[in-house]
Amino acid sequence: MSPTDHDTDAMQDFEADDLHEERRDTRRPGEAVFAFLLLAFSLFLLWSAYDISGFEALSAPGTVPMATTLVMVIAAALIATRTRRLPPISGETFKQQILPPVLIVMALLLLAFGVLLRPLGFLPTAALFLTVAIKMLWRQNWGRTLAVALGSLLLIYVIFRIIFTVLMPSGVFPEAEMLQFFRNLFGGGA
Amino acid sequence: METLSAFLTVFANPELLLLVGLGTFAGVYIGAIPGLSVTMAVSILISFTFSWDVYPAIALMIGIFMGGVYGGSRTAILLNIPGAPSAIATAMDGYPMAQRGEAGEAIGVSTVMSFLGGFIGIAVLALAAPTVSDFALTFQPRDYMLLAVLGILLVGSLSGESLVKGIFSGAFGIIIGMVGMDPLTFTGRFTYDLPLLQSGISFIAVMIGMFGVSEALAQLHHLDAPAIKQKISRIVPSFGTVKKYLPLSLQTSTIGVVIGALPGTGGDIAALMAYDHAKRVTKNPSRRFGDGAVEGLVAPETANNAAVGGAFIPMMTLGIPGDAVTAIMIGALFIHGLNPGPMLMIDQPDMFWFIVGALVVANFFMLLFGLTGIKLFTKIVEMPRAVLIPLIMLLSIVGAYAVNNSITDVYWMLAFGVLGYFMRAYGYPLGPVILGVILSRLLDDNWRRAIISEREDLGRFFHGIVTSPLSLILFLAVVFIFFSQTPLWRKLKARMMPARKEEAE
Repeated sequence: MSPTDHDTDAMQDFEADDLHEERRDTRRPGEAVFAFLLLAFSLFLLWSAYDISGFEALSAPGTVPMATTLVMVIAAALIATRTRRLPPISGETFKQQILPPVLIVMALLLLAFGVLLRPLGFLPTAALFLTVAIKMLWRQNWGRTLAVALGSLLLIYVIFRIIFTVLMPSGVFPEAEMLQFFRNLFGGGA
Repeated sequence: METLSAFLTVFANPELLLLVGLGTFAGVYIGAIPGLSVTMAVSILISFTFSWDVYPAIALMIGIFMGGVYGGSRTAILLNIPGAPSAIATAMDGYPMAQRGEAGEAIGVSTVMSFLGGFIGIAVLALAAPTVSDFALTFQPRDYMLLAVLGILLVGSLSGESLVKGIFSGAFGIIIGMVGMDPLTFTGRFTYDLPLLQSGISFIAVMIGMFGVSEALAQLHHLDAPAIKQKISRIVPSFGTVKKYLPLSLQTSTIGVVIGALPGTGGDIAALMAYDHAKRVTKNPSRRFGDGAVEGLVAPETANNAAVGGAFIPMMTLGIPGDAVTAIMIGALFIHGLNPGPMLMIDQPDMFWFIVGALVVANFFMLLFGLTGIKLFTKIVEMPRAVLIPLIMLLSIVGAYAVNNSITDVYWMLAFGVLGYFMRAYGYPLGPVILGVILSRLLDDNWRRAIISEREDLGRFFHGIVTSPLSLILFLAVVFIFFSQTPLWRKLKARMMPARKEEAE
């Protein structure tokens, strides 16, 4: 593929993204289900909003929530009705265009990051996450993957942990000892 | 004297100067990388600057904002891929110029014109904001309530595929903002007796999830987007070139400031409108528009940077964000204990003049970084998305965790990231969600104040609206936004403007 072809493809991708901002006359895979889920969620919220203070007074804590959730219900109902009527878009499948396997894997990796962050600590969890994610997405050899993953992590660590002093869980990694070691090394133990 | 001192704070303080410079530098590169938006960068950054003093935090964010709006033009010119929505119009003539081997000249003109536009936007902010703020002091609670509704509706109607989806997003944002204990009566709202919901949902977690994680997930569809190398020739434009396009740039800067100052609009709409204006008024363009006309590059670039100053006007004077980035900056001011709105200008005018000073400095840094470091730029932009996406995700997690040292915030961020991804995929705009979260308090408090002052009587409330010119204008604007989305309005518009319809056909 020539650079021009690449470029044209990239532009088409970009335009395709933009087209999603225009009023579509076709329905994307899973769009109707999503619209009905939002409608159900809005109805649940309306019920919850009524539960706050009912029709006690116009200045009651539940009045604005009730009005807002009512707006959500009406909007969601209109969206769901319109979406259901639209013909499905041709050539798109839910698995390919909306929820491809790579997206599910990345979402699960993020979840695993959240779960492991406290017990394992920031540095080991982030190193694991970056290595697995970059290896999976970039498809380069292990040497390059590890160099990029660990190099980026080091840069992020220096910027955010050391310069911005953002606190992150240390977990099993002896982070405080490591920092002290470097302080001793460069500051003569000061 | 105090005003001047606050204005000069950034110039006189090396740390602040460095932070604005660093922010602008980062903003130029973040804005240039397709898929990385300024909104995302600022939303992630808030959490890192949470524990800082307010001046350094704001200085860094302003730098990112100013640099990011400009940065999008780089990839628009070199790769025909706008790095940010505000550079979409720039690509129309910028890329054809690059194809003719004039990439350097296009970058130079766009940088100088962005500087000029940015400066005009800041000047208008400095001159107009105090007056707007004085006027805003006469606003009644119902006016603030109507302004909040108007802001959410404008963002909803302008940023998505349909007003209904925009309204849904805005209403959803308001509900997210209301989760927790009601500050007036201490009644739980949407808490379901769960302790984790009683203190509300962290707005930063919502923001990072919606803009950071969802964007990173969406970018997984474009992993194979290519990097193209370009030859860069002379960059700094001649004085004659700048002088030639000065009249047009002044006109389009005005468009940029006005559009930027309207709540719900931003640099992207300003740039497109300015491009349209340039097409209409330029009788003899350097080339045909779309084939590399310099006028087609000058117009959007001045307008989108002028819109930055414009966007700060409603933010600083009314507490209503001009766009998604200023919505996030309002959040940053809240986090630092400040309350944007007319009282901020009275109680803490130094903050306003500090922001104006920081914008001026950021504008100069933008000129400096824009005209230099092109080789480094091309290297960074060539970074594969397969590496970039995991890094954004990592930063999002660190950012969400850092605010409260809470894993719960990380889970909220992930949940909103996934939800935001689906909303994006199905054409629900995300801007109104954030605006809803930010404005929910303004809406709720002022509704309750207004209705209590009218003794809980809806009739008196509406009587108050129709008898106050300002309330009536705001109310009619809200009604018009609804009406403008109906088939009846479309028919009326088509009948009123048959000539334009024919032209479009």
